Amino acid sequence: MNNKATNTSPPRITSQVILDRRRTARMIMAVVYLVLLALVVWSVQVTVIEDTDWNRLGGFGKVWEAANRFIGLDMALFPNLIEPAIETLMIACLGTLLGVFLCIPAAWFGALNITPFKPVTYPLARMMMTLSRSIHEIVWALFFVSAVGLGALAGIFAIAVRSVGFIAKMSAEAIEDIDPGPVEAIRAVGGNDFQVVIYAILPQVLPQVLGVIIFEWEINIRRSAILGLVGAGGLGLVFFRQMNTFNFHGVMSVIVAILGLILIGEALSHWVRRALI
Amino acid sequence: MSTPTMSPQDSRHIAKDAQSTLQWRRFKFPGSLIRYAVWLSVFVFLAYSVEYLEIPLERLLGIFGRMGATLANRYYPPDMEYIMDADYMRYVVETIQMAYLGALFGLVATVPLGWFASYNMTPSRCFVYPVARLVTMSCRAVHEMIFAIIFVAILGYGMLPGVLALTFFCTGFAGKLFAEEIEAIDIGPVEAMRATGANLFQIMVFGVFPQVRVAFTGIAIYTWDVAFRAATVVGFFGAGGMGWYLKRNVLQIESERVAAILVSIIILVFISEMLSAWARNTVMKMK
Repeated sequence: MNNKATNTSPPRITSQVILDRRRTARMIMAVVYLVLLALVVWSVQVTVIEDTDWNRLGGFGKVWEAANRFIGLDMALFPNLIEPAIETLMIACLGTLLGVFLCIPAAWFGALNITPFKPVTYPLARMMMTLSRSIHEIVWALFFVSAVGLGALAGIFAIAVRSVGFIAKMSAEAIEDIDPGPVEAIRAVGGNDFQVVIYAILPQVLPQVLGVIIFEWEINIRRSAILGLVGAGGLGLVFFRQMNTFNFHGVMSVIVAILGLILIGEALSHWVRRALI
Repeated sequence: MSTPTMSPQDSRHIAKDAQSTLQWRRFKFPGSLIRYAVWLSVFVFLAYSVEYLEIPLERLLGIFGRMGATLANRYYPPDMEYIMDADYMRYVVETIQMAYLGALFGLVATVPLGWFASYNMTPSRCFVYPVARLVTMSCRAVHEMIFAIIFVAILGYGMLPGVLALTFFCTGFAGKLFAEEIEAIDIGPVEAMRATGANLFQIMVFGVFPQVRVAFTGIAIYTWDVAFRAATVVGFFGAGGMGWYLKRNVLQIESERVAAILVSIIILVFISEMLSAWARNTVMKMK
């Protein structure tokens, strides 16, 4: 009797069981796909069919006409774009730098293994990261424009605060993955917390963190190019002006300038990555 | 001999060091100079940009106090009743739908684009590959706000331009990730299929897609998450969703309502982040 009980306790895997499992998995997948499909149909119905004013659009020809206005470049604008482009690049650089400084406490508090007082500081840091990532840079810029006034400073603050979340999250994850050996060694020879961070943690995470910072800097160029839309200077301001004066070829020129700036940024970041890491 | 004394060997080493002025250095001469020059130029550039952008450094000291005061005076009690409104809830649902459709269309576009933009699988390395790379890069480089503004200018206000803007944004975002995923596949099955005489399309469907299926699902969920974050503000320039609410209240300087909308955005993003993390974990486990 006893023997039989031990035999039956793990369910015997027969071909029937495997087939049953496969069928259940297939059923679940079918239900998931059906739900997703129903959502698509519903969303298309609400957003594309009901919400669009098809009479105003007036057929493909009219849409093509409207789109056609944008094709072409305003060559005369390019000399005027150099200065805003430099401004955009500077805002991105300073914003990233400030963001790196701001993310030091966030990464320190947000890494489980070195956070000073877990029940308070860890959730605090996690909340900071979510807050920073969930609010769009445009909204941050609006807030900082209302707090510090129009100008590049608002843009720098917006970019800094927006990039804290990503850099701090990645750095905190890197810190959580370190080898604890060096930390214990520094502690054993009597190093204080500060020395542990400088000599045991920083050397281990520096390559990863630098990679993340360079990646974020690249994204920040793209972000700072639109902050001018809400009053923070740079290429976005020119874009806004060209759009409001209906100079559609000028708008395209600004976009080409943004593309060029981002290409330069990508080349630079590739080079820096190879030189540093 | 309890006190440590210098052994003859040690003294010889020291004498040798004193004779030769060579010292160990981490960076050798020309490299070290270049290093210092690069760091110096970076600092000069940063200092110059502070000067060039006319940042009022003397005002920076009191800035945090002023920000705190702004938050406390203008934004503090968020007008929660305002966001409990049924009309606002409808806009929230619209935002979610926009993000869903944008992510879906973007992902559909990503499948061929990721194929063409992966260096190992692309049909032609000298023509299709650079074109696909360029398309992906431009979609990624141009901010979703710019797409939104241009589509609003072409198609008028509404949710369609928002969906299109998010489509382009998601194409750029997911295209690069997907191409990288294809570049990292195991080439064995592909070579086996090629040896049996399969054409490009068959290789893709039976050799490559089964390998990247799980990764693609993960990318898709992540894309939806990012698209939702972008969708909350795409309406800022008239492309539908809750961004329009935000813009209206910003322009009317209804700061307490703006604060309430921001709170709702934070909560929604938090929920979507949790959902996407859960969905990604589930998919990874099914692997």
